[in-house]
Amino acid sequence: MTTQLTAETLSRAIGRLAPHLESVAAELNQADARIGDGDLGITMTKGARELRAVAGELPDDLGAALMTCARAFTKGGGSSYGTLLATGLMTAAKACRGKSTVDWTAVSGLLDAAVVAMADRGGASLGDKTVLDTIDATARALVDLDDPAAMTEAALAATEDTLDRFRDRPNRVGRARMFAEKSIGLHDPGMLAFREILCGLR
Amino acid sequence: MKKILNDPYRYVDEMLAGLTAAHPQYYVLVGDDRRVVARADGPVDGKVGLVSGGGSGHLPIFTGYIGPGLLDACAIGDVFASPSVDQVADAMRAADGGAGVLSVYGNYGGDVMNFDMAAEMLEFEDIDTATVLLRDDVASAAPEEAERRRGVAGMVYAFKIAGAAADTRADLAEVTRLAQKAADACRSVGAALTPCVVPQAGVPTFEIGDDEMEMGMGIHGEPGMWRGALRTADEIANEMVDRLLDDKPVEAGAPVSPLVNSLGATPPEELYILYRVVANRLEEAGAEIVMPLVGRYATSMEMTGVSLTFCHLDEELAPLLQAPAACAFWRV
Repeated sequence: MTTQLTAETLSRAIGRLAPHLESVAAELNQADARIGDGDLGITMTKGARELRAVAGELPDDLGAALMTCARAFTKGGGSSYGTLLATGLMTAAKACRGKSTVDWTAVSGLLDAAVVAMADRGGASLGDKTVLDTIDATARALVDLDDPAAMTEAALAATEDTLDRFRDRPNRVGRARMFAEKSIGLHDPGMLAFREILCGLR
Repeated sequence: MKKILNDPYRYVDEMLAGLTAAHPQYYVLVGDDRRVVARADGPVDGKVGLVSGGGSGHLPIFTGYIGPGLLDACAIGDVFASPSVDQVADAMRAADGGAGVLSVYGNYGGDVMNFDMAAEMLEFEDIDTATVLLRDDVASAAPEEAERRRGVAGMVYAFKIAGAAADTRADLAEVTRLAQKAADACRSVGAALTPCVVPQAGVPTFEIGDDEMEMGMGIHGEPGMWRGALRTADEIANEMVDRLLDDKPVEAGAPVSPLVNSLGATPPEELYILYRVVANRLEEAGAEIVMPLVGRYATSMEMTGVSLTFCHLDEELAPLLQAPAACAFWRV
């Protein structure tokens, strides 16, 4: 059966994603506390709560639905990771505006566009050991894939691989930059949070 | 240092409650979390909506300058902290009278990010938006890096001129052009004698000796150009004028509006002592002084200090600066 990405797909994904993010909040806080301010799990929990609140009433227009999801990460404000995720989602929202369905094969391109917008807003580049590196690797891994279950697995594999490749490098941007030496040998918290998003989509 | 407050975490909310209660003819609180102030009689149908915002602690900037001939709405963060994306988007919606929304605010990283994201949201609602950033603080970056400069008291001129332009029912592109021209026409420099206390921090923003001053300090206590022994009023005024005219000279006969502004605690008496020198120097330089402003227009809580702004006018900007406008803090 051929399926496509719709607002309904998003709504069901939130149903799996939100409880998972809440369940790993303490782990993410701990990972973040080693090189950052230790609130990444809180950011993701807040986002998950907001997503739950809107999941039942997402508009049919996929662009508007993605924009609603983006707003879940800007409410309450303050966190730079939440702002970056919202930026990526807004970029996808603009690309999907006016469409009620999008082919799964388009997801790779949506992630590419998100990386560009997030790099622009956050001032990071690929290779700086941030969430951008995992999203970029995921975009590469999803090229031409059209089965959502297989896509999630491919994305996770690419993300695990990226986490391992970067573990022994220093963080080059954000708060973690000030602990660059300390960050060698540690996974980047933003990358870990992206892995948890993918785990939650399983 | 002492402050009059209740709960530091309610400081801004209680301030906004009092501001809107005192001046209901100008201000009304809107938005989910009551951090957006809008014009009491707005939005004005068919007029470009003018929005600003940023952290609290600078009254009359930003909220104070809402009114006829001025701003339509502001999003207000905690003291010296950006408002959220949602608050900014709510301010833009409150200002929208169907002719688009122009945001005019200072060049600070957090504010720029949040206003940009809010504008993306508004685009989704088919509301046109535009942005003009103030970068008038000459002490915050060298002329070669002028695009990195911060916005300070020059905002007052940009609000006023943009407000008058919007009142003519000019379209969004034209109001944006005039607001940008006003922003580009402003140069400012500040000097601080004492720090201020951010309520939630409870301690002074920086340390400075009783006998010291800092030239070029920003309105959140950002470091300036030099720190040294306190100088006389005339020495301070002359250095400020020199710095502004070095950055943007006056053409003979050109109209200039000077703003001698208190950063909070400095009394009007001392501003007028400074103004004598400012007026003399501008006249010597061949400027025609138009609508000089002396008072508390853009503050940094209880900081002692002053800023000087020159707005370089022409036959297009001068009438807009002098057009009628009113808010609780200023009437033209």
